[in-house]
Amino acid sequence: MVDRLFLLTPEFILLFGAIVCVIAGLSNLAVIRRRVGFIACGFLLASAVSVPFVYNSSAVETSDALFPHLGAYVKFFTAIISIILVMAAGGLIDRNYEHAVAKGKDRFHALRSSGGEFHGLLLLSVTGLMLVCEARDLIWLFLALELVSLPTYVMVAMSRWSRIAQEAAMKYFFLGAMSAGLMLYGFALIYVSTGSLVLQEISATFQAQMAVGGGLTFFAIIGVLLSLFGLCYKIAAAPLHLYAPDVYQGTAAPVTAFLAFIPKTAGMLAIILLLSMIGWERGLPPVIEMSLWVIAVLTMILGNIGALLQQSTQRMLGYSSIAHSGYMLMGVIAGPPLGLTAVFIYLVIYGLTNTGAFATIASLTKEGHRVDRLEDIAGLYKHNPLAASSLAISSGSLLGIPPLFGFWGKLLLFIAAISAGQILLVVIAALTSAVSAWYYLKIIGLAILSPLTEQSQRVTVALKWPLIAAILSAIIAIGGPFALSSMIVDANQAMMLPE
Amino acid sequence: MNGLMQLISMPIGMPAVPIDQIINAPQFAWAGFILWLPLLSLILCGVCAAMKVKTKLPAIITILSLAGAFVLTAMLFLNYEGPVTIHLFDWIQSHWSDGAFIANFALYVDSLTLLWMLFVTGLGTLIAVYASEYMEHDLGKGYTRFFAGVSVFLFAMGCLVMGDNLLMLYLGWEGVGFASYWLIGYFYTKPSAVAAAKKAFIVNRIGDLGLALAIYLIWSTFGSVQYDVITTAMESHQHDAAFGGWTVNLIPYLLMLAAFGKSAQLPLYVWLPDAMEGPTPVSALIHAATMVTAGVYLIIRTYPLFFLDDYALPVVAWVGGLTALLAATIGMAQYDIKRIMAYSTVSQLGYMFLGLGVITSFGAAYHVFTHAFFKAVLFLTCGAIMHGFAGQLDLRKLSGLRHMKGWKIVSYTMLIGCLCLAGFPLTSGYFSKDAILAEAFVTHGPGFKVLGWIAIFTAGLTAYYTFRVWFRVCCGEKMYEAGDELHGEDPASFHPHAPRIAINTVLVIVSIGAVLAAVPYFTENTTEGLHGGWVAEMVNDSPGKHGLPGMAHGHGEDHHGSILGMDPHKAMYYISATVGFIGIAIAFFFHLLNRKAADKVRSKLLSSRTTRWLPTAMEHKWYVDEVYIALIRSPLWITGKVFALFDKYIIDMLIVNGTAAMPRIIAKWFAPLANGSVQSYGVSMVGGALLVGLLMLFMPEIVELIQYVSAQSGGGQ
Repeated sequence: MVDRLFLLTPEFILLFGAIVCVIAGLSNLAVIRRRVGFIACGFLLASAVSVPFVYNSSAVETSDALFPHLGAYVKFFTAIISIILVMAAGGLIDRNYEHAVAKGKDRFHALRSSGGEFHGLLLLSVTGLMLVCEARDLIWLFLALELVSLPTYVMVAMSRWSRIAQEAAMKYFFLGAMSAGLMLYGFALIYVSTGSLVLQEISATFQAQMAVGGGLTFFAIIGVLLSLFGLCYKIAAAPLHLYAPDVYQGTAAPVTAFLAFIPKTAGMLAIILLLSMIGWERGLPPVIEMSLWVIAVLTMILGNIGALLQQSTQRMLGYSSIAHSGYMLMGVIAGPPLGLTAVFIYLVIYGLTNTGAFATIASLTKEGHRVDRLEDIAGLYKHNPLAASSLAISSGSLLGIPPLFGFWGKLLLFIAAISAGQILLVVIAALTSAVSAWYYLKIIGLAILSPLTEQSQRVTVALKWPLIAAILSAIIAIGGPFALSSMIVDANQAMMLPE
Repeated sequence: MNGLMQLISMPIGMPAVPIDQIINAPQFAWAGFILWLPLLSLILCGVCAAMKVKTKLPAIITILSLAGAFVLTAMLFLNYEGPVTIHLFDWIQSHWSDGAFIANFALYVDSLTLLWMLFVTGLGTLIAVYASEYMEHDLGKGYTRFFAGVSVFLFAMGCLVMGDNLLMLYLGWEGVGFASYWLIGYFYTKPSAVAAAKKAFIVNRIGDLGLALAIYLIWSTFGSVQYDVITTAMESHQHDAAFGGWTVNLIPYLLMLAAFGKSAQLPLYVWLPDAMEGPTPVSALIHAATMVTAGVYLIIRTYPLFFLDDYALPVVAWVGGLTALLAATIGMAQYDIKRIMAYSTVSQLGYMFLGLGVITSFGAAYHVFTHAFFKAVLFLTCGAIMHGFAGQLDLRKLSGLRHMKGWKIVSYTMLIGCLCLAGFPLTSGYFSKDAILAEAFVTHGPGFKVLGWIAIFTAGLTAYYTFRVWFRVCCGEKMYEAGDELHGEDPASFHPHAPRIAINTVLVIVSIGAVLAAVPYFTENTTEGLHGGWVAEMVNDSPGKHGLPGMAHGHGEDHHGSILGMDPHKAMYYISATVGFIGIAIAFFFHLLNRKAADKVRSKLLSSRTTRWLPTAMEHKWYVDEVYIALIRSPLWITGKVFALFDKYIIDMLIVNGTAAMPRIIAKWFAPLANGSVQSYGVSMVGGALLVGLLMLFMPEIVELIQYVSAQSGGGQ
């Protein structure tokens, strides 16, 4: 028991951090309130640092997990990316309110400030993601996934004075609840067909069923399918992607960046866990493989085409993040070793560059309002070359321009899918990502080349921390490929099976 | 693709395949600084440019780093005991199931490398000193850019010469090409300079293509791009005639193409004369002494590969000999002294390739060595004249330089350079040229004897055009006209400004070097049976040892030919001296004693219908540029225009815009789905999931149904 708890040290650090953040956010002292972000970053860093110690310790026994080393990879990278996510939100939460308090126009009131809650919830959500990779049974998996999602519903609603954010939060919550229902129903059916909740036991039962030759039972297939659909909501894959554009547009940019990474990673990991119980060695059951195939194709097409017409930057990036889920599903279909390695690496690359793009948007302001129209970023280069360049580099990386980081991620996914024989899938992916060039290049062109317009003249770079986050991820997008080979080694390690 | 996949799934960072032949020398790791110092200087120059430094700081940085590189090279030379590999860092290592591609950032140091690096870094340092004064009119403007370019060049040249594999050579090859482009186009506001830079780069691309293909073929044949592995593989397949198939025979020709491009040989020599648009120190360093000899280096380095095909070396010899003749005839008829020197460089490079072709890698290497010094002297004196007379280079408008105050050093160092170039007895050029000429009569090959006589005739032409310059510019009565780069001075009250200490010192040092370059020919050899002194000794450790005097080169012991019944080596001393004297004497008569006679001869030739073509064609460089434009550039240009129209109307308008419009139209169909209402989202999501799920679950039934229907319709037919 103690060993098990020791394994969860990174989670405990974050849990403790969440409590500290909430308390610090209620402090009467503005000095402390404004430093909540730093506190959160500190705990995330501590959590990341603790990962190698925990996993290299001999006291830890992880052989009862499906992927004993998955946690080491995921926890470390999510903690690091979460630091950039926190930076992207730096100074944005409660900005007007804190400004008023600082000027003496308003008095501090605990109920009206939300900085503490925001960071606390953020850490809780990351904790949930970390718990997903340690899941040993279906209940744990479900609770961990809900721990990822529940805080995000509140985070979306955090912009209390924005009606559009309230609407987005409401949609997100209701549809999320529905998808959780789907998933839970699927889990129940899996339990019905195998008689166990423990992942390893389910896996053994599945293997036994497949070895007999008859394949999985009907209920097992329905169960897996329903769980898959439920999880598709988390990764915003078609046909459960419909909420994503509205929600991504409605919330503040850093929250959107968070939504596009943490729940998506959790969902992707859960899908991988689910499918690895069936295993790729004998080939996935055709029904499941075909469903995944259709979902991947639909997601890539709808995501990329949907982004074309958008006039809102965040909505466009929201559609783009849908399309990226489609690319990653390609790797899931291809399966281990190449496919999963590619997905693990792509998650990190996508998380970093997507955060970079949203962070740039977050750093901008137009006379105190948030910047959302695409035309507002026209001629950004003339205002702030750094912001424009990092936006361009992030978009370029999302598009996959060589030699940026995103290119290598996409290359790995394509190679994996080709080696698994999914030629048609790769052709579709290549075509849709060619379509995606249209809107990514539009962002780059607007930010770098286009002249200032009357609208965009009023846009200013107001916040330094989001800008730093954007520059940081742009630097990683350029320098990351040099670390690619060691990341491949780590990712290979992550998907090693228990001996 | 297979390889890439393996790359991902296999642990990265496997140790390289151990090769016993490589003698690693980690104790020489400091030799890496021969490369890093110029690179550092480049970075510092970049910093200077960013800080807008207006002093001579960039020159000082560059000179110090190049001098450091020279000192390190000299130390490496003094510690040299045999070929070694110095591993700097892992560069490209891809392994897959049945092979590997390894190209490390490693140095391969044999004595050939050292020979080249000694004069590259040595002359590089001296010419940088010279340029610090020469370029001072551009202080604060292009000064930093110039020295940054020189640093890039030295770094790239170091990679080219010192790399232990062909890929590093390729890196350097492209790097020097880029540096050359950078520096030829230094005066980028001048259209002719920009055109020349482009021409140099584009013409070189043809050769580079050859090199890239050659590297690929070498790798696919021998399984490696590392020199020692290639050599070992070659030795093990020496007696296997069928080895590798026909592509193996292509390798020397592709390498040759690369060498002809970089070293300005027929048919790719046209870029080098135009490259004189760059600042003169650049012409001296890059386009005379060092970069253009990279082709010679490439062939010596890969010399064993040239024996793969029987006709490879004869082709090299003939191309070299004809280039030498052609360039010399053009050089005779030019008036711009820098341009004359440029054609002379092409011509002398032709000699080097002739030497390689007639299997005397020693002669070629020695001529590279002596030529580097004396041609540098000549270019640097031209530069001094250009500097002092506001860009004046026309030999008709300058005269009697040696009688002018402050121009003595320039005149007499130029004389030394001219004597060496003309092959005046006992100068360095005399010995190195003779080593090549004699070998043309020794080696048996298709028409090598004819080639020998052509080369001797060219030697006479060389002596003539060289001294035409010297007698015109430095002797005779005092006379000058200012050039067109007056920088606001009044042409009427123009006074030439004589070179100062930096230029003069460098001129003296380099000309002493040019004189002393004769000495290595006579030093004693430690290797038994080897003649030819220090340079031969330096070539001996390298793949070029096939072409050393006194060593067997596959033609048997009775290979010695004869020339006019005498031993070729002895005969050549007399013949080439005589031819040289004749050339100098003609120049003396026409260009010093009786300058009007030269014009008379010219007008006489021009007035006669039958002989008019000769001087015109020579002055117009045999119309080679015009032929290239008509045969290559115009068709390409027309094709380009046609393609551009096709691109604009068919591709852009019809295909691209049409295709781009389609996704947007499709997007409009789906827009109603995203109407913002939760209920419809919920229905769409669950409905969509159900649809996909049901479709999949009942797939066997659906497939059966489709088969049934198709069977029915098939049966109905």
